[in-house]
Amino acid sequence: MTNAHDDTKNTMTTETTERSDLSATTLRDNAEVAEALGRRYEAGFVTDIETEYLPPGLSEDIVRQLSALKKEPEWMTEWRLKAYRHWLTMPTPDWAKLNLKPIDYQSISYYAAPKSGPKSLDEVDPKLLETYDKLGVPLHERAKLAGVAVDAVFDSVSVGTTFRKELAEAGVIFCSMSEAIREHPELVQKYLGSVVPTGDNFFAALNSAVFSDGSFVFIPKGVRCPMELSTYFRINAINTGQFERTLIVCEDDAYVSYLEGCTAPMRDENQLHAAVVELVALERAQIKYSTVQNWYPGDENGVGGIYNFVTKRGDCRGNDSKISWTQVETGSAITWKYPSCVLRGDRSVGEFYSVALTHHRQQADTGTKMIHIGKGTKSKIVSKGISAGRSSNSYRGLVKVEKGAEGARNYTQCDSLLIGKKCGAHTFPYMEVKNPTAIVEHEATTSKISDDQLFYCRSRGIGEEDAVSMIVDGFCKQVFRELPMEFAVEAKKLLEVSLEGAVG
Amino acid sequence: MSEAQRTPFVESLLEAAAQAQLPGSGIGWLDAARRENLDAFVAGGLPDTRMEAWKYTALRALGQRRFAAGDAQASTRAIEMDRYALAGIDGPSLVFVNGVFRQDLSRADNLPAGLTLQPLSQVLKGDAEPLRFALSRHYRDGGDVFARLNAVLAGDGVVLRVAANAKIAQTVRLLFVGAPADAALASHVRQVIELGEGAELSLVEQHVATDSHQNLGTQVTDIVLRQGAKLRHVTLQDASDASTLVRHDSLQLDAEAHAAMYALELGGSLVRHDLHAVLAGDKSRLDTGGVFALRGRQHVDTQMSIRHQALNTTSESVWRGVADERSRGVFRGAIVVAEGADGSDASLSSKNLLLSAQAEIDTKPELEIYADEVKAAHGATVGQLDERSLFYLRSRGIPLAEARAMLTAAFCRAVFESLPDEGLREHINERLMAQLPSA
Repeated sequence: MTNAHDDTKNTMTTETTERSDLSATTLRDNAEVAEALGRRYEAGFVTDIETEYLPPGLSEDIVRQLSALKKEPEWMTEWRLKAYRHWLTMPTPDWAKLNLKPIDYQSISYYAAPKSGPKSLDEVDPKLLETYDKLGVPLHERAKLAGVAVDAVFDSVSVGTTFRKELAEAGVIFCSMSEAIREHPELVQKYLGSVVPTGDNFFAALNSAVFSDGSFVFIPKGVRCPMELSTYFRINAINTGQFERTLIVCEDDAYVSYLEGCTAPMRDENQLHAAVVELVALERAQIKYSTVQNWYPGDENGVGGIYNFVTKRGDCRGNDSKISWTQVETGSAITWKYPSCVLRGDRSVGEFYSVALTHHRQQADTGTKMIHIGKGTKSKIVSKGISAGRSSNSYRGLVKVEKGAEGARNYTQCDSLLIGKKCGAHTFPYMEVKNPTAIVEHEATTSKISDDQLFYCRSRGIGEEDAVSMIVDGFCKQVFRELPMEFAVEAKKLLEVSLEGAVG
Repeated sequence: MSEAQRTPFVESLLEAAAQAQLPGSGIGWLDAARRENLDAFVAGGLPDTRMEAWKYTALRALGQRRFAAGDAQASTRAIEMDRYALAGIDGPSLVFVNGVFRQDLSRADNLPAGLTLQPLSQVLKGDAEPLRFALSRHYRDGGDVFARLNAVLAGDGVVLRVAANAKIAQTVRLLFVGAPADAALASHVRQVIELGEGAELSLVEQHVATDSHQNLGTQVTDIVLRQGAKLRHVTLQDASDASTLVRHDSLQLDAEAHAAMYALELGGSLVRHDLHAVLAGDKSRLDTGGVFALRGRQHVDTQMSIRHQALNTTSESVWRGVADERSRGVFRGAIVVAEGADGSDASLSSKNLLLSAQAEIDTKPELEIYADEVKAAHGATVGQLDERSLFYLRSRGIPLAEARAMLTAAFCRAVFESLPDEGLREHINERLMAQLPSA
């Protein structure tokens, strides 16, 4: 273990050092190493600001109160109530390969917001900005430097949105969901719940009833969004669920690339996160959605961590439209997530690129669904699972070709990498084909990092942990390539930190 | 169980169970096992498609049907044995008609040394104790509903043993003939097969029909291969295209044992085949292969699971499916590598041809891996014949329909190429050509 530790220090220091400065001397700076050792989960800090809660529990009253707090119109309240009533009739799903204790939905507080509502970035609590700062969210000036427009969701209320003006000039609407409900009710009413209906599944119904905030993006006809849009989610308060709702609509010939990052502080309790993301792509529109999910995974013994139950679905409504999901999942105690594409338009394209890493006692059951309905639709799935420690990592995917999907084409590749003897890596692909002109292909492999590869690296003086992260990086390259550049850097580092202690 | 679940199907089988006078009744442990499985059957009823194991096979229509308990003429029906003959296979055989053993049609005398081949009904009249382990199984999984039924109602079947180190040269044949009776029948067959250490056996199992009938057949088979034993098991399923047939095979391989299991599914209206294999001993090896070639409204569902739980075990599975007209083919191939099963090498391929706009193929290869010193891979495809191969054949003057038939047959044949028995390979080829869509 002593030997492995030296390598560990290096990797962790990398994480805390400025990204531009990775020189060897800095890496070996003892003070920094000591600091880094105290910070396993780097984003695990709690911001101490006053928070406004709804009392724990869920009832029609709570839903009404929540809606009232958010000053929502009547139709929205009704929409929530309808979802809530439906949710009451639904059983908790148990089909995923997950081992979890039943969740007590009555012990969760469904709303938490910083007490004083901020009106502009300047009014935002400096402590809050500091939090984002630590997370590396490029908000405020940093946002301009990074050229990224951020809609940061901090415990349910959107606190600051940057680059609004520049986006508005292009005709792009990028705001919080609460604001969209107030300012653009016609758009919200038209599209909200049209991809993921309120009663779609247990967690989507729960989300529809109690979602607190989220992002709304609308790209009008023919507009190519001038910058990459980004939201950073963060769960801060104790015993609150984070239920955000994201809706992205791309009209004809429009394009947007959207980045989503997630982090949560360290706590012993398990926190619930049930989000819904809906994407709508009209004629020839393209949406690229990238996620780096780094929720707190719990400690080595599986205490604490986020329960991440997310419904993400994109609807390629228009002909020649395209939706592409890229995800890097390293956090959460439990991940239950299947970003999907409904390929309705003729010649529409769906893509799913995923890296899911589990360590210690993390459990992930994740994958995608590609539903081919239109003619000549194409989908591609590349999934890379990495399991270490005592974790369990499953790919679960569905490729469905409906009768009318003349000439549909799918290619799926699922690779799993095992690090250690106590972990599990599983693949459950479903293929349902009803059209004789369709071609559906699936390939999967499971292996471990070969001794030859390790030996090769070690013989060239590369430490074991570094060698492992090099090999893992190579294993994931196909997916990282799809990420926007700055995310790719972050993803790579996340893997290194998450894998620390997995070897030796 | 609520009254709503008491479908005509369940009722008719409960009546059968109440009336049944099964051999072996009076044996305490056997009665207990039958009773417990009956209770489980009553409590569970037929599964619906919400149950993962039955996701693609709906039993609702079956649930509305009634089946008579037995065929009074089963022991006297005239059977044209020549129709089902297999060239070059004329060794020991057991023949069953509608689930009833037919001494007159079987060949179980003068068996080679080391081979025991008896109908279950006969064994149960004597010393049943050696069968206690196999026959007192309780099927706890709700998906094993037909195995439960079989445990309750099977009064006949096959007991086959090969003594240690006996190498049986002749292929043993098990023939199950279905024949139409006054009403749709349910018959249940139980097989217990054990190969002692170092024993070798080649086995052919045939399911055929005299004429079209709507019977239900259930079959449960337990196969155990002791250390170093070798088994080749070929099932030719050519049952009536209106019948329902459910087979449930459990296979255990001890150290260095080697089993090769093949299935050719051509007949049946609703066919379900479960194959659950456990590689329990170090260096054991399992090869599986199968083809379904479907047309009309046939529905064939194969559910295979292979569990590697010892060191240096190998499994290789090659499955092909062809679905034409309004048929539906379902395949699940699960490979599980248990914790500590280092050195496991598993591969599975499921390739399918979908030939009609009304047909459907659902395939689900699965990997569940809990050890890291493993090689595991699977591949699955659903598609059509290769256009270039078709073009090549047509450019050489072969008409399109014929070219398609040739390529489709070749696609299926790949599974059986490793069969050493040429006569059997030829038979399979002929049957395939007859079943596959041609000119």
